Amino acid sequence: MTVLENILLVGLVICAAAAPLCKRLLATVIVYLAFSVILAVLWSILQSPDLAITEAAVGTGISGILFFLTLKKIHALKGTRDE
Amino acid sequence: MSDRGKSGWKRFAEWVNGDSVARDPTTQYVMNRRPVRAHAPQEFHEERERLRLKKFLGLYPLAASFLCLTLITILFVTVLCIPPFGQPGNPTNNEVSRHYLEYTEQETGATNAVTGMILSYRGFDTLGESCVLFLAVSSVMMLLQRDRNNTDQRTLHRLRREDAIERTHPDNILRKSAKLLSPFILLFALYVLFNGETSPGGGFSGGAILGGGLILYSAAYGPEQLSRLLSRSLYDGVRIMGLMAYALTYGIFIFAGANGITVEMEWMMTVIDLAVGLVVACTIYGFYTMFQRGKL
Repeated sequence: MTVLENILLVGLVICAAAAPLCKRLLATVIVYLAFSVILAVLWSILQSPDLAITEAAVGTGISGILFFLTLKKIHALKGTRDE
Repeated sequence: MSDRGKSGWKRFAEWVNGDSVARDPTTQYVMNRRPVRAHAPQEFHEERERLRLKKFLGLYPLAASFLCLTLITILFVTVLCIPPFGQPGNPTNNEVSRHYLEYTEQETGATNAVTGMILSYRGFDTLGESCVLFLAVSSVMMLLQRDRNNTDQRTLHRLRREDAIERTHPDNILRKSAKLLSPFILLFALYVLFNGETSPGGGFSGGAILGGGLILYSAAYGPEQLSRLLSRSLYDGVRIMGLMAYALTYGIFIFAGANGITVEMEWMMTVIDLAVGLVVACTIYGFYTMFQRGKL
């Protein structure tokens, strides 16, 4: 369990550092969502399943949808450019 | 002074809608006056702007890295000072948490101590959070909802074109997988919502999953399908009734507890769970649909 925890913690740090360094906004959002997934798994390892469910639903689902909607509105996604 | 005869409510509505005329001539004059044109030459402005930008760009990375490093240092020092996870001698293991763990079931009727704590011991906290969500979605609706006054032909045309593209080029992967998944997600949301007293979950997480399921349903079957099912009046009713049911049930809970009256707690926790879940789900779905289309 400790090995898994350490791997996840390293992944968390990598995601946190990579999110602002990405060139494309879409990549930033996806890395941020990966951060949320890792955090949700970590919450359940730390014996707080309530928080894990909420993190998985809000962190990856809802905020992801809102971020993608914003990207679509500012035409940062491929194929949504408005001439 | 044309609006002297109007009632206060009407004037307030006009002020909210932003199409009120100024009351006195001075304000009207200031509103109508055009901005004064600058007489300095264009090069002067460009030079000044360039210098400003240069100064800013020179200072910005330094300040940003300094702030980042300070924050990281503070956080690392804090983490180093935290006692190790799960030790019996930690300061969090005091009589408060012991009381919560021992008496939650008989005092609140919830087997899951976390739900009991969130919804009854700290119910005012949750009530405030529900109010914040309610107000947030109300303000988003005020700002982003499209009606006659803030929609021009161009926006309508663009929306119609987007709908036409959506109809002629459906995203098959999204549509098929959403059709497959959304019933299970909605069912799981109801399970998390109603089973919050005995297992992990409860109002907030269940409501978040329910909102996500609604969004997926809207993506799968088209927004018109869901707005036929969940009309504007029903949406508002659910939102308001959720908050009111929470306030009422929690009021009964507090009143009975303060006066030593024994009440059946099980249904109260279920009602509070459901109320919080509905408010959260409505908030999330409202955000999505307001940002996406500007109407329900």
